[in-house]
Amino acid sequence: MSGDIELVGVFATDDQCAHAVEKLHHAPIRGFHTFSPFPSEKIAEAVDEVREWGRSPVRKFVLCGGITGAISGLVLTVGTSWEWNLNTGGRPIASIAPYIVIIFEMMILFGVLGAVSSFFFKSGLPSFEPSSGYRTRFGADRFGLVVRVADGDVAKIETLMREAGAEEVVREAA
Amino acid sequence: MAAAVDQSKYQLTYLDVDRTAQRVMAPAGLKYWLWVAFCAFLVAVGGSFWTRQIYEGLGVTGYGQPTLWAVYITDFVFWVGIAHSGTLISAVLFLFRTRWRTAVYRCAETMTVFAVLTAGLFPIVHLGRPWFFYWLCPYPNERYLQPDFRSPLTWDFFAISTYLTTSTLFLSMGLIPDIANQRDIATGWRKKFYTVLACGWQGTDRQWRNFSMAYLLLAGFATPLVLSVHSVVSWDFATMQTPGMHSTIFAPYFVAGAIFSGCGLVLTLIIPMRKWLHIEDLVTIWHLDSLSKVVLLTSLVITYSYSTEVFMVWYAQDPIEIMTFHQRFFGAQGYLFGGMVLCNCLIPLLLFSPSIRTNTIWLFIISIFVNIGMWLERFVLIAGSLSTATIPTQWKFYVPKATEVFITIASFGWFLMNFSLFAKFLPIVSMTELKEGIGWLRKSGRNTYPYRKAA
Repeated sequence: MSGDIELVGVFATDDQCAHAVEKLHHAPIRGFHTFSPFPSEKIAEAVDEVREWGRSPVRKFVLCGGITGAISGLVLTVGTSWEWNLNTGGRPIASIAPYIVIIFEMMILFGVLGAVSSFFFKSGLPSFEPSSGYRTRFGADRFGLVVRVADGDVAKIETLMREAGAEEVVREAA
Repeated sequence: MAAAVDQSKYQLTYLDVDRTAQRVMAPAGLKYWLWVAFCAFLVAVGGSFWTRQIYEGLGVTGYGQPTLWAVYITDFVFWVGIAHSGTLISAVLFLFRTRWRTAVYRCAETMTVFAVLTAGLFPIVHLGRPWFFYWLCPYPNERYLQPDFRSPLTWDFFAISTYLTTSTLFLSMGLIPDIANQRDIATGWRKKFYTVLACGWQGTDRQWRNFSMAYLLLAGFATPLVLSVHSVVSWDFATMQTPGMHSTIFAPYFVAGAIFSGCGLVLTLIIPMRKWLHIEDLVTIWHLDSLSKVVLLTSLVITYSYSTEVFMVWYAQDPIEIMTFHQRFFGAQGYLFGGMVLCNCLIPLLLFSPSIRTNTIWLFIISIFVNIGMWLERFVLIAGSLSTATIPTQWKFYVPKATEVFITIASFGWFLMNFSLFAKFLPIVSMTELKEGIGWLRKSGRNTYPYRKAA
């Protein structure tokens, strides 16, 4: 595959964009990405079907963050209590029940930090190089589909996008 | 289905949302800057009183035995409570996919962050030696002794700092797609500013996929967090032996009160804001009506909590508790309790009327009463209970002095100044979610269009 042409399809609705992605799936073409001004479930489902990504890896980072936070909270409270064995009124040196509050808060804190950092990391952010085919309209009122195709497939894919409802299809050098 | 819908009845388009946001964020006029300057002036006045307090000590306040917790702790609980409705609207209602939240949640979330920032100042203001506030941080002293992790005050440090971090990140993450939209439109220094803040966001399928999952999980974390934070704040009081405070009902009672007061303040802020910023098309009567129903519901929960509290005192027949509550109702400061019941239990009942729920002037007035009532509730609970603690010979009613009054007023100035600056430089309504809502309405083929301005 030479892959030297990019087709940028502009769609008025997410239905049309998702429909075009489904058509690409049957073509079958996998070298594409979409742009949308808001998270569209239809586009997400269509893209998932093609790429078989499954669920976002952010979940795993959050799980790891939450577990790390809970363990850190436990170590901080119980560990420091045991380090200095201060007997106050015969109460247990490490009182687990009140420590649950600290453990819970630290679990949340680390889970949240895991969610945000993994979102940035897995989304390739921050990045100040614009993705190929990006138009400012894709952040406002239009949906975009950018497909990298071999020279011989350009006409076929262009027709496919127009059939799905593309308002315009622009050819760009990849 | 979607093709059969008459598109002409939908007045708002995706571009309308962008245009409105752009108009709201346009360079400000003289009135706006005068307002910000006025808020800054209030902060400066409060700051000067605080400086005097630091210099001369807490003796310049009305504090004294037996009331050593009063207005500052009242302010702390009040502002933490205000913060909670923001999380309720942004996180809890997000999990329930409640559609009306889209227009008001950014405002509520912003309110959350600035309210927590304001609340966080008060435990420091309350300290006689505020420069030692870091003693609450979990680090050992010179003898390697850590803070007492059994203490609700230490829990507070963890809860509030986690809450501030989470709500700030939640707000910041939700802002990224909207800031990217502004980056594409803006010119000059604003373009550079938004380019940095947008972090290169372009709304690709990969970015949205990770964004949606991270946002969902943040909402999932924020929901139990919001319950835990105000429960922890309530345990500052409930774990004490003081009559009038030592109660197991406090955690749910505080959470309901927090949501009640926070939704009240959202109404107080958003009603004039939608008028001044001309965003009636985005924040409609439908949204205000829905929000006022939450206020009504939480008011009923609060009323039930007050009744339960009194019932428990009567049922337990503890003479000291009975005496404390008798003083609360009929004592020298009984009028504060009366005001609290009037503002929190009786006036919100007007919201049963649909015509009042859809009248912005009435809603605004009621929301002001709700704010006053909830501040009074915390004051009655804290200063009132301590004033009439166990030994009657030690009773002394607390009366705030100018220092507390001006520092409290300054906290409102601080909050409003930050909020106003945010509203001018960053999107105060979520453009992304409003657009998502428009798409949903179009697909669902609804005959009514709740985003339209009420007739």
